[in-house]
Amino acid sequence: MKALFRTLGKLAPVVLLLLLGTAVTTRAQGAKLQLDQLDSLTNKASETMDVRIDERLMQTTAKFFSGKDPDDAQIREVLKGVKGIYVKSFTFEKEGEFTSAEVDSVMSQLRGANWSKILSVKSKKGGDNVEVYLNLAGDLINGLAVVSIDPKEFTVVNIVGPIDLEKLSKLEGQFGVPDLGIEKDKTKKKDQD
Amino acid sequence: MKTKLTIAGLLIAIALGARLPSVFARGDGFNDAVKTIEKFYRVKHQNIPLLARAGMKAVRTAARIKGGTYKKLAEAGSVRVAFFEDQDFDSRGQIASFKGALNNTLIAEWSPLVQTLAPKSEEHTYIYLREAGSKFSLLVVTIERHEAVVVEATVTPEVLAELMKDPEGMGKAVTEDATIIDN
Repeated sequence: MKALFRTLGKLAPVVLLLLLGTAVTTRAQGAKLQLDQLDSLTNKASETMDVRIDERLMQTTAKFFSGKDPDDAQIREVLKGVKGIYVKSFTFEKEGEFTSAEVDSVMSQLRGANWSKILSVKSKKGGDNVEVYLNLAGDLINGLAVVSIDPKEFTVVNIVGPIDLEKLSKLEGQFGVPDLGIEKDKTKKKDQD
Repeated sequence: MKTKLTIAGLLIAIALGARLPSVFARGDGFNDAVKTIEKFYRVKHQNIPLLARAGMKAVRTAARIKGGTYKKLAEAGSVRVAFFEDQDFDSRGQIASFKGALNNTLIAEWSPLVQTLAPKSEEHTYIYLREAGSKFSLLVVTIERHEAVVVEATVTPEVLAELMKDPEGMGKAVTEDATIIDN
């Protein structure tokens, strides 16, 4: 029995470090939305796109963006700390082919405690149809979600990790993040209700 | 001593447990994907004749996506291709079921990266990824109404990083470069 406690004592710091690492990852993973339920829209949509870039892949590829090329250096900076990019987009032929109930699996998560709708962004495509949510733990940003709802299109972009709108705009059109047409200068902060 | 070793072994196993399965018993995702297509659509693939394969490009791609210098996409000899030509790929409204079947077949060892589906035109593309030592294996499945192609290519992390900038274009780049014959 003594041997058991001695061994545990020696290994305790290692175990503690492992648990600490797990806790940090888990907190960021809390910003990862469950999007699989949206798959029920696949057969109705005329086009669907599903992009999943997880943390391991994100960090592996980020290393290979050279610091010499200014564009690559910028991407590398933007991706720093990002733990995943997940995109689901559905395009429909006609209006009204999806209902708010069908996308509520996502919207209900965004009504959760850690998510705050921070901006209503005017899309270049017209209409106040893009909403931006942040997942916050105190002052720390754990992740971001952008939901774009049009009568004939539903898109959700979920970025896990520290990211802000400025970084998001740099990712538009890359890494599967669609061009959301966010006009930063026209954004207006909404009342946080 | 035995107890110490057992405890240490247990703790290490707990710490690493989640990562161990991927190391063992790798299946052949390429053949699994081909079989899934054959079973779902009741079609048969064609192998590429050896001579045609010898004349294929060793794949030159990333440059086409973003401009810049010529880069080889895949290492020579690391490309596998299966064709389905002049066959009927009609999912009869069940394109999502095919997606589910393919994902279920591959999910244990491959990470889905990009999946695009257009049910009306019966066009769908699936890109999966897995580590292959210091490189990555890409598995691209492209299905259209009357033809399909399955490509597996091994790429370096540098090329993968370049391709990642445009995940949607990745499938097209890999498939085109693996199937166009050099003249």
